[in-house]
Amino acid sequence: MEEPEGSDEDPGERLRRTFRAQREKSKKIRDVEGISSIQQHSADDGRTEQTDESVVPSKSGKLSQKGLSSRKHPSATSQHLDDSVTRRLEAKLREAISKVEEEQKDAPLEPASRLQSLRDRDAAIRFDREVDADRVERQDVPADLSTRVKFREAARKVIKVHPNAEEAYTFFTHNFEPDPLDESEKMSRKKKKTQRTSEEEGDGEDGEEEVKEGDHDIESESEQAPLVQNEDEDLFVLDQLPEDVLVVKKAEYVGYKQRVARESELLFTPSSQPVPTSCKLPENMKPRYLEDEGLYVGERPPVSWTNERIMENRLLQMAEGMKWFGDDGRTLALPNPIKESSTRPPLQHIEGDLDPALQTVFRKLVMSKNANLYVTGAADPEGDYQLDVDVSGLIFSHHPLFSREHVLGARLAQLYDQYLSRQHNNLTEHLTDKLRGLRRALQNMLEIHGERDLTPPMQQRISEYSLEVRNTRQLRDNEQEKDRTLLKQLVKVWKEVKTLRELQRFTNTPYKLFLRRENVDRAADEQEHEGEILTEIVELQAESEEDYQRKLAEYKKQLEQWKLWRRKQKAKRKKRKKKKKGQSHDDTDEDEEEQEMSESESPTEEGPSKPEAPERPDFRSTEEWVREKASRIRRKPGEAILIPDLTASGNITATALCPRTEVARREDVSKRSLFIKILYNDKEVSRTDSRALNADFRVHFGQIFNLKIVNCPQSINLQVFEQIGLSSSLLAQVFVPVPQPTVVTGNAPLEEFEFSSNQRVMFDHEGVGSDVPLSFDADGSNKVTLLTSGKVSCCVSWGNGEDGAPLAPPVSQHLVRKHGGLGHLDAVTYLGASGLYDMKKIAEWAKQSRLDPNDPKNASIMQLLKVASSGEVTTPEYFRLEHLQEEFNFVTDEEIEKNKRFRLLRLREQGVPEFRNYKFVPAHENGISNEVFKDYEKRLKEEQIIDAKEYLDTHRALVAKNLQKIRESVIHRFLHAKRNYHVSDLVVEEEIPSIRFLGIELFKWAQPRRPLKPQRKERKKVTAQNLSDGDIKLLVNIIRAYEVPVRRPQSNKAAQSSQAAIQGSDWYLSQAQLRPFVEVSFQRTVLQTSSAEGPNPCWNEELQLPFRAPNGDYSTANLQAVKDEVFINIFDEVVHKSGESDKDRGQSFHASVEKHWLGSVKIPFSTIYSQSKIDGTFKVNTPAVLLGYNSERRHAPSGAYDILLSQSEGTFLTLFITIEPQLVPGESLRDKIKEVKFDSMQFDSQEDEGLLQASDRFESEATQNFPDRPCITTVVDLSGKTVFITRYIQALNPPPELLEVSTQEPAALIARYVSLIPFLPDRVSYTGACGLWSTCDQFLSFLAGDEEEHAVLLCNYFLSMGKKAWLIIGTAIPEGPTAYVLTLEQSRYLIWNPSSGQSYSQYDTFCPLQTIGCLVNASNVWFNVQQYTSPTRISFDTTKAKLWKQFFSRAFCHPGLSSVQPETLMYRRGDKAAAAELQDRIEKILKEKIMEWRPRRPTRWNRYCTTTLKHFLPKLEQSRGADVTEGHRHQLQSQLGDNKISGFPLNLPFSGIQPIIEAVYSTGVHHIQAPSAEFALAVYVHPYPNNVLSVWVYLASLIRS
Amino acid sequence: MAELHIIGQIVGASGFPQNSLFCKWGIHTGGAWRLLSGLKEGQTQVDIPQTGDMAYWSHPIDLHYTTKGLQGWPKLHLQVWHQDSLGHSQLFGYGFCHVPSSPGQHHISCVTWRPLGSWQEQLTQMFVGGGPQLRNPDLIYSGADRYRLHTAAMGTVELELGVIMKHFDKHGVET
Repeated sequence: MEEPEGSDEDPGERLRRTFRAQREKSKKIRDVEGISSIQQHSADDGRTEQTDESVVPSKSGKLSQKGLSSRKHPSATSQHLDDSVTRRLEAKLREAISKVEEEQKDAPLEPASRLQSLRDRDAAIRFDREVDADRVERQDVPADLSTRVKFREAARKVIKVHPNAEEAYTFFTHNFEPDPLDESEKMSRKKKKTQRTSEEEGDGEDGEEEVKEGDHDIESESEQAPLVQNEDEDLFVLDQLPEDVLVVKKAEYVGYKQRVARESELLFTPSSQPVPTSCKLPENMKPRYLEDEGLYVGERPPVSWTNERIMENRLLQMAEGMKWFGDDGRTLALPNPIKESSTRPPLQHIEGDLDPALQTVFRKLVMSKNANLYVTGAADPEGDYQLDVDVSGLIFSHHPLFSREHVLGARLAQLYDQYLSRQHNNLTEHLTDKLRGLRRALQNMLEIHGERDLTPPMQQRISEYSLEVRNTRQLRDNEQEKDRTLLKQLVKVWKEVKTLRELQRFTNTPYKLFLRRENVDRAADEQEHEGEILTEIVELQAESEEDYQRKLAEYKKQLEQWKLWRRKQKAKRKKRKKKKKGQSHDDTDEDEEEQEMSESESPTEEGPSKPEAPERPDFRSTEEWVREKASRIRRKPGEAILIPDLTASGNITATALCPRTEVARREDVSKRSLFIKILYNDKEVSRTDSRALNADFRVHFGQIFNLKIVNCPQSINLQVFEQIGLSSSLLAQVFVPVPQPTVVTGNAPLEEFEFSSNQRVMFDHEGVGSDVPLSFDADGSNKVTLLTSGKVSCCVSWGNGEDGAPLAPPVSQHLVRKHGGLGHLDAVTYLGASGLYDMKKIAEWAKQSRLDPNDPKNASIMQLLKVASSGEVTTPEYFRLEHLQEEFNFVTDEEIEKNKRFRLLRLREQGVPEFRNYKFVPAHENGISNEVFKDYEKRLKEEQIIDAKEYLDTHRALVAKNLQKIRESVIHRFLHAKRNYHVSDLVVEEEIPSIRFLGIELFKWAQPRRPLKPQRKERKKVTAQNLSDGDIKLLVNIIRAYEVPVRRPQSNKAAQSSQAAIQGSDWYLSQAQLRPFVEVSFQRTVLQTSSAEGPNPCWNEELQLPFRAPNGDYSTANLQAVKDEVFINIFDEVVHKSGESDKDRGQSFHASVEKHWLGSVKIPFSTIYSQSKIDGTFKVNTPAVLLGYNSERRHAPSGAYDILLSQSEGTFLTLFITIEPQLVPGESLRDKIKEVKFDSMQFDSQEDEGLLQASDRFESEATQNFPDRPCITTVVDLSGKTVFITRYIQALNPPPELLEVSTQEPAALIARYVSLIPFLPDRVSYTGACGLWSTCDQFLSFLAGDEEEHAVLLCNYFLSMGKKAWLIIGTAIPEGPTAYVLTLEQSRYLIWNPSSGQSYSQYDTFCPLQTIGCLVNASNVWFNVQQYTSPTRISFDTTKAKLWKQFFSRAFCHPGLSSVQPETLMYRRGDKAAAAELQDRIEKILKEKIMEWRPRRPTRWNRYCTTTLKHFLPKLEQSRGADVTEGHRHQLQSQLGDNKISGFPLNLPFSGIQPIIEAVYSTGVHHIQAPSAEFALAVYVHPYPNNVLSVWVYLASLIRS
Repeated sequence: MAELHIIGQIVGASGFPQNSLFCKWGIHTGGAWRLLSGLKEGQTQVDIPQTGDMAYWSHPIDLHYTTKGLQGWPKLHLQVWHQDSLGHSQLFGYGFCHVPSSPGQHHISCVTWRPLGSWQEQLTQMFVGGGPQLRNPDLIYSGADRYRLHTAAMGTVELELGVIMKHFDKHGVET
């Protein structure tokens, strides 16, 4: 607003500038105000309110018109304003402005801005462009603000000059209307007023006025515009009434005519009149029509004439328009591009000749379950595979209901069949022809070449030919002989039939044999016969001659050699004689020498004996032989050829005429009917109708079954059932091979499959029965035993699809089955079906098997080979795209194969054990040493070679190998089961707590707290996959021990007074001398507790041992296979004051600490893993004799606890072991197998299905009711089959040697024998946690097994000894689920631990058996349904159904299961010599090892002590470690005098040297550091039958005191 | 002895008419290629997205090849299947793409198609599901005669493949 004062520029110019500036400003202000207008709204007074109201409805129409005019026109038209008018106006305006400026000083801005803002808003709605401009401006708001601030300051200044309150008050009411203006202004005002009034009055104005207004010419409007603009400023400044501010304008409208006229000036409308040709062509040109000249002109695209004309007219108006016209005066145009027919061929058209590879198949929706049964990945995911099984019929070749005549008839028919098939093949004829041909060829060869010397290859060929002749003749003779005998037999059987029919006086079979005679020309026949014989003789003679020559040559050679040797010998002898003469003075020497000589000579003289000259062949005998043979095998010359002809046209005697037995038989036959079950992959899929058995024992079914299959075909099995009345029995099974994919219904012939069954059937009528000896001779000799047998004729083939395509899976999915034996002659089996396309292979095979080219059977192959070898196939006639592929190769295959890195990578990928978890493979080949593969290659090599070194015993090595093999095969078998994933295997899902559970949880809050009764909380289980080394720890909590052997007072006179001293009052003294501690070693980590005092120490210490999985692989399978054991040893800490040093006597002394081994407990890691915790009191494995310690009970039992203890002798240790964090034990494979069993019958079973189901029910019921009691009714045997458990129990003879020794109780000895068989948990050997049960003979030959095998064997031995014995299935510590043996002896029950040989009475507190799940014997299985499971609290009376739930009850009786065990066991006697040898070796190895473990100190062996100990060991064996100690100790003591002895014997079963070394090492004897220590070591191996060995190792250390 | 690592994932698929999808995949190579480690075919889980159109599988692919030549560069072929709420599966598309031949991380969108079949088949498919499938799935990556097929475009499968090459430069292959 502030204009620079006193500027004397051109006032007009200035004014305009001011205007512009003001306008700009006001606009800005308006904008700013516009934003804030809403807030200000309420502050406005009523007047403005009114205006507002009046304005708002009239937003439309005029206002906008005004906006348009006020904003657009000034800028556009102000330039055109008339100068005079402008000047006038300017003068007036200046006045007004000065006034306004004065007034404005105190004028608040709101109303104006308000209106402005309204208008602005309106504009924003109407005019986009304006809005845009506004928006742009709005962005400059800060700048505007500053100007505004300036303006306000200015305004304030003005206000200070004129502080006129009244004016301010009346500002809004005051009429600021200036004095009358001049005419034009008046006019405009008036106009405005009218507009305003009309506006004020609402929308009252009519259209006429609008039109009038619209009729104003542009100039007047433009003239008006600045005024309005001016008004704007005025508004702003003066804030006039709305009527003054607003201009109402009528809608702007340009009349149509006007517009047309205006437009016509600017626009050009081409006419649609035709254009004369002349215009379109250059001047003086005649149109030229190319078509007429014979040139091809394409068809123009269709365009309507009008459009074309318009276009032409338009073009003509354009510059250079002429170039668009062609010679013919028309516009240029390309030919019509649109084709008449569609270029994309229709769908139906093609389908017929579509390439088969491109064809699509319409597949129905697939259930995903089936989709992935076949393959994953790209291959055909599913298919409608269909097997057609055509069961056409059944013929019995023997049936129990056969009468004698039937038997003969069947034989006759069989022979006749044989005859027919021979006749059909006509081998004799064929061989005769071949022979003839060969002879001719040989003859030709000889004739052509004559007597001239033959080239070596010729000779070769001749000899080959003659060999061939010889072979062929042999074959022919055989065939002829067979023919002849067949014919003879046929006649003989027929005669038998006839006699039988006469004898029994009725006919049962319709067979009739006719013999047709075919006469021959006698002379020709004879001639031929003779000729044949002659040639044969000649040949034979030639052959024998040749043979003779060869032999002769050989003989000569040998003779030559012999002579040579002879001469040498003579020379030698002469020499010797000379020598002898020279040395004759020393007689004795000579004698000896001579003796030596003769000794040395005698074998040589026997060397080559004088060969005998071969005999000359006798030609006469040859001839005789040939003739005799001919008469035997050939028809006599001139004799008629007999052709048998069997018909079934005979009559069968009617039933009424038969004797009673026969009638009974026939009735029986008519009662029977047969049906066939079809089993696919061991599942019954369908069965035929039941058909009655005919009198001729043929059954016709004629049924075809279409099997839609989704599983890979593994077996197709037809089961023949015989039905009598309602009961049916399985007669036989026929396994039909799965057809090749090429065998499709239609081209598959019916095949006959033979079957037989060994069921024993006997009848009291004419039926001969089955498996019953039967004789046709009157005297009952010549008995034959016939088994039910027959043939099923059936055909299995792949179905045909609707389109004729075979519904067979692709070849690759078939398991390639290896056939042994026959393979050589059958090309298909030899090469495999796919190999048939490989010509080379076929040719090779043909050559190898010397295919006879003339054999009609081989014709097709020969033809094929001819084509193949003629070379068409070998030279390709086609262009090969990858012709130069070889040249582009980087490297060769061999190089890749050789690359060590790649090999390593691949082996790792394949999971070869050596490389399974190989972590880092070097990036470069040179980073890999050859050593890496050494182990692997060695293992490959060793698959065959047995390493006897480690096992010290070849038998054991063999067994180990064998076990390995079985293990591999079993693992293979289980791989399938393992792959069967369930969702739970892959997804770990936290179980949603059920309401009940929640309720219990809630209830727990209310429970009284019992801090003094802590309970174990369930720990969270950790899946093994995301573990690494160091995460897992083994926690061993050692609580206390009982009855640890105490140290014997080490006094010199102890020998005589020991007994007295201990029984005396000072036994406390001796007790105090014991300082036991426990050392736990696991995976090379050794930790020990502090030492406690006394024989009943209490440690209560927790030891943490780190666990590392082999190869860092924490998968379940690997953890299960961990073989490490936890050794828990009890030691006594002995402190020696080893002499005080002289200098500072009394102040310091040297003490050396020794530890003496007292006993050990061994717990395999696999047990801990599978049970997750082990808690209990264990019997410590203490040596039988502990030198220097006293293990016997020292005083009379005084307390109750002692009474309990007294029942079981020995040292006990209370332990708690667990793994931290808790690992999820692997799911046992057995469950999986079960699932699989029902899924695909992979692990099939011989058991009856009903039995299996019953056992499943039994087991599931048992686990449901008593989840913690193990219940086993079926087990898996070594071949992976499920076997019912009672089949394992059968009385078996124990080794007789053990029974011979009558000195001891035989039961204990036998238990000991069983316990000496080495222990090998299945879990370790068969990686999956799966108990496989081997039978006793398998167990004894492997000499390794786990608890179950031991228990079964022991139980079987006890049974054979006449005891009542059961197998206990239960849980024990530390083994976990295990098997024990229970025997009943004189009304008390004994529990035997089979793997230690210990027996416990039922009420023994320290019996390791904790839970008894079930009892098993040969006849039944009893499940424990009593309240308690501990053996001390239950009753073993199995007859009580309330206490023991039996498997076979009255409802489900025992089906008479036969045992899987052998009837008797064979034993080899213990081999004493081998044992002695082994003993020496073990001793040597152990001594070496002990010296090795003491690298810094010399190890001295006390020989004297060793021999003493050695004598003592056999005694220990005899007494099985019982008390023989006293005398022994006395003996030792007296012999060794002053020495402090500590030592003990170890007893182990022998499985290998490694466990023995381990055991010796764990005792820590070698740790003794005393310089004067000496050692003694004795080994004794006691052989038991069947190579079971008991190894005793006596270790002792002596310290000279 | 050039080596090729293909490490990546099948991220997912989008643009299919239904979105509960799974994918069977495989890698096809020429005879010159040897697989050193890794699985060369597999199947993803069925993803039933709760929101959005894209089914995510994030199925890992980790292969290690060695080769004696460039011929038969690995191709990845895919089959996208749809599994409905009843557990029925039907084919939704075939697709294939070459494994990128330059080292580095690659994002690949593999478009898929599905054979159309006759109108009867299309009608059947509309009502009861199922649909035409290739008899010979090799056709997915062997292009002979494919022009005769009538197909409909289906969605896209997204893949992320990282390619690491080793010693290709030693044999004159610039990478």
